[in-house]
Amino acid sequence: MGNNVLEYQNVEKSFFGVRVLRNVNLALQEGHVLGVVGENGAGKSTLVNILGGVVPADSGTIILGGSHYAPRNPSDAFRHGIAFIHQELNLFANLSIAENMFIASFPKRRFAAIPLIDRKAIRSKTKALLESVDLHLSPDTLVEDLSPGERQLVEIAKALAADARVIIFDEPTTSLTARETERLFAIIERLRSQRISMIYISHILGDVLGLCDDIVVLRDGEVVGRGTRGEFTLEKMISLMVGRDIEQLYPPRSTKPSEEKVLEVNGVSHPGIVRNITFALRRREVLGISGLMGSGRTELARILFGLDPFQSGEILLNGLSLGGCSPRERVRKGMAFLTENRREEGLLMGASVVDDIALASLPSFARTLLRLIDELRMRRAVDRVTDSLRLQYGHRQTAKTLSGGSQQKVVVARWLMEKPSVFILDEPTRGIDIGAKYEVYRIINDLAAQGTAVLFVSSEIEELIGMCDRILVMSNGSIQGCFERPDFDKEKILRAALRKDAIQ
Amino acid sequence: MYFFAIWPFTPNFASPQNVRNIFSNMLPLLIVAIGETFVLITAGVDLSVTSIMAMASVFGAWTMTSDGGLLAGSFLAAPVGILVMLLTGAVIGLLNGAAVTLFRMPPFIVTLTTMMFFRGFAIWFTQSEKISNLPRAFVALGEGGIGFVPYALIITLALAMVSHITLRRAIVGRWIYAVGHNVKAAAISGVPVNSTVAFAYVVSGLCAAVASILYTARLETGDPDPRQTILLDIIGAAVIGGTSLFGGKGKVLWTALGVLFIMVIDNSLNMIGLSHFKIMIVKGGIILFAALIDALRNRLLGSR
Amino acid sequence: MTASRNSVLLFTLKNAPLIILVAVFGTFASLSSKFPTLDNLVNILVQSSSILIAAIGMTFVLLTAGIDLSVGSIMFLSAAIAGKMILAGHPVALAFAVIVVVGALYGAFNAFFITRLAILPFIVTLSTRFAGRGLSLMITETRAMNLPGLVQIGSTRVVGIPFPILVLGFVLAVGHAVLTKTAFGRHIYAVGHDREAAKKAGINTVRVLFLVYVVSGLCAAVGGLVLLSQLGAVSPTFGELREFVAIAAAVLGGTSLFGGRGKVFPGTVLGAVLIQTVENGLNIINADPYVYPLITSFIIFLAVFIDSVRHAQLQQLKRRRIRVETSA
Repeated sequence: MGNNVLEYQNVEKSFFGVRVLRNVNLALQEGHVLGVVGENGAGKSTLVNILGGVVPADSGTIILGGSHYAPRNPSDAFRHGIAFIHQELNLFANLSIAENMFIASFPKRRFAAIPLIDRKAIRSKTKALLESVDLHLSPDTLVEDLSPGERQLVEIAKALAADARVIIFDEPTTSLTARETERLFAIIERLRSQRISMIYISHILGDVLGLCDDIVVLRDGEVVGRGTRGEFTLEKMISLMVGRDIEQLYPPRSTKPSEEKVLEVNGVSHPGIVRNITFALRRREVLGISGLMGSGRTELARILFGLDPFQSGEILLNGLSLGGCSPRERVRKGMAFLTENRREEGLLMGASVVDDIALASLPSFARTLLRLIDELRMRRAVDRVTDSLRLQYGHRQTAKTLSGGSQQKVVVARWLMEKPSVFILDEPTRGIDIGAKYEVYRIINDLAAQGTAVLFVSSEIEELIGMCDRILVMSNGSIQGCFERPDFDKEKILRAALRKDAIQ
Repeated sequence: MYFFAIWPFTPNFASPQNVRNIFSNMLPLLIVAIGETFVLITAGVDLSVTSIMAMASVFGAWTMTSDGGLLAGSFLAAPVGILVMLLTGAVIGLLNGAAVTLFRMPPFIVTLTTMMFFRGFAIWFTQSEKISNLPRAFVALGEGGIGFVPYALIITLALAMVSHITLRRAIVGRWIYAVGHNVKAAAISGVPVNSTVAFAYVVSGLCAAVASILYTARLETGDPDPRQTILLDIIGAAVIGGTSLFGGKGKVLWTALGVLFIMVIDNSLNMIGLSHFKIMIVKGGIILFAALIDALRNRLLGSR
Repeated sequence: MTASRNSVLLFTLKNAPLIILVAVFGTFASLSSKFPTLDNLVNILVQSSSILIAAIGMTFVLLTAGIDLSVGSIMFLSAAIAGKMILAGHPVALAFAVIVVVGALYGAFNAFFITRLAILPFIVTLSTRFAGRGLSLMITETRAMNLPGLVQIGSTRVVGIPFPILVLGFVLAVGHAVLTKTAFGRHIYAVGHDREAAKKAGINTVRVLFLVYVVSGLCAAVGGLVLLSQLGAVSPTFGELREFVAIAAAVLGGTSLFGGRGKVFPGTVLGAVLIQTVENGLNIINADPYVYPLITSFIIFLAVFIDSVRHAQLQQLKRRRIRVETSA
């Protein structure tokens, strides 16, 4: 038993009025590994982002090493000895390992009053650091020649070089091979013996149980379970993560899916991305695709819409193979795609809302010989759609100034202009408030009732359970389970999402 | 939103001769600037317009000239010559467009390279000599007109109107703006991004060719080496007029005002007696200033 | 199978400049016996020195994914000022010192607009290019200046090494050392690769970006100096279009327009020598001089094409995120 190197006391955080962390209390002992588990959106990232100085806490106290801790930015956190090993690594691939290590603080030697990099010094120091993470490579190796696992070890070595006292691992093993994962665990052991404290976030529960001394389970921003490793089992963690069903209101479904298959996916694979995806989507069906981060959901959606290629298998729309045709072709054939990041890939921020909404359906308003747009007809059609969505906007307004919920409606409106036969929605309720979420659910129901087949990709198991006829669960690029409505069970679904990995 | 404030910088020159002068210089410039606007809206740039003008001029003259041109003396000379010029512009524009879309090369380097290449080509083709003796019918385009209205003005107005309608009402116009705003969102929404961008470059090439028709007719020679400073005038005019270098914003009317502004500045500085070079410096400064406003506006309105 | 084919392709892409140089060299050597003489080879090096010096500065800028289109005008301005000073009787050394400062100031001017006011580099340097040329034309009053005394300097040899190559050697050594051996140099690569990550890592990105344009201005001025000493005269078209050749030399030598990739030695050196070799060779075989710019621009196009393809390939490779199992 050592003393607590880190303590959270009643920490709270909200984003745009939505509470993300409430009353979080936890403690990290010196030389221990604290596992943090929870579903997507449970608050794990925010919890460590506060520690890393990326966002400030709204209230509560954080004690680091016995004193008050409130970092203003990542550099501040860095100086306090906090090291953050992100999923997206911050290494410069065009520089060598040694250069990356010391990029901000090169040891220098003088050559006629000109400060030059002391190569010998950084080489030997880097070599020592690499040894300590069991990476036997030359310090002059370029980072771009390293595998993701090796790059991660370099990041850890960087943390050690900065005399980090607390190292945060955020989903570290997603892109690692089995061997590299083992190596990572060995390093963690070594770090532990060096009295370095660690926070380990992962959805691979088996790893967490095997690795961590203490565990914290988050759900909806609250700590619902906290204790030593011995107090937890796989079952207990899952049931805590899942909790009891909260009173989420979902609009009632008015129609049942028909038998007619609209979209058939057979054995679609692309190495490193998805493996052997096979399923069918029927008219009026709302098919959910669940899975944790990195499971390949969005990648599958993009492949289905033609944005990314696939190596083997086939996709049939209404019986006809889609082959390699472009998104443009698919739009013409009646497919629609709501991307998960409306800012980057969805909205035309600088254009007027009307133009934004009309974008995908322009050809149908330009049937004249000269392909001129019938503005009146277009505007009327846009108004019809926005009325049905209850979207309000000013005459010359651009999407930039709308709220998150309204922005999402704009993108949805775009696809509703032409009745799509297949509508793929990727995280449609991300970043919007409760009221707007309900609207989106209502829209999805209406769509299904009017004959559209909906593919609903989401990380929120509850909303899938509330909305879908069937749920497919993906993990590690392949489908791990399929659930029909009667069998909907949050725990079972989560288990399927974890299954491949939980059994390590 | 950015609104364009014209500051008519008018010291003293309301004389009709002067006005006519400004006008006749302005028209070809405006035509090219309109073409350039199409490209700028897609968040690209076309630096090769001066060389396209040279090539069009040279090829056209070569077909038309009575000094042993292809169709010397034939009554077809003028119309075919014009056709050749337009074709030249379209082809080079297509080349630019293909490189930018298919090979994903940065627009400014592509058009820089084509600028150098075709400038050299034009000079090589003519061995640095100008081609004269163009058919009367053709030259008439530069001088004559219908009643009081010179042909040049008619052509310019027609082109401006067509461009305006294209950008404003045609579907390809909407596509151009969409690509400029967010090319990823446009692609997902089914916009044919590659064709649209290529189209913009072809338009730019065609406009350069049309401007070249007016220039060549007025100068009565095929000139392989027009003034290089025109390039800055063109881009500067568009940017001053409110077209954004970051894409998504621009209108024919704005560009027209920008061109007017540049011409007025040019003319008034000339009248004041500023040397040619000082004018270059001032113009450089003004364009910098316009780009500054563009950058500020972009930053103010937040990330795109 | 595909593995070996891929590695051949990779090797070609990585060593493209050298391969092309050897190919070009071989072509001209076979076309004329006057080509591969030692005298001619030294000649090529001497002819390329002024543009190579400017290209070294350009490399610094390109590494940060920027561009400097005003290099030719900086050369002209330097030559014009130096010419005026020398004609007015000032010592040559003083004139040279002054234009080095002028070049640095010009670069700082560019840098200010690019870094502080966040205007796109190509527009800033395009504007200053015209303004600078205008300024220089004003100074020279559009007349040529003849400075025969300078040619003497230009053709002197110190321990048998011609003056231009001496200056080139110095600039090259310093440039290479800075890029590879100093923190500043490494920061340039970091910023060019990922500006956000560099900021997060604590690098002063604004300062880095500012300084590279100053370096470019400096090199352009020195290049102008060397060119002046070779020509002995300043004409109104001095330095015209030289910036594009400088860009071409860097890109041909492996520097990427997208930033973060490129070397001054051997890279940019090879690029500049390649371009000069082509021009020299064409000259020797008495090719039509009008053909030069055609070939040069075609080579630039090819270089950028290769760069763009490589860049696109790298982007593709970034897609993989899922754990790869033991299957192929």
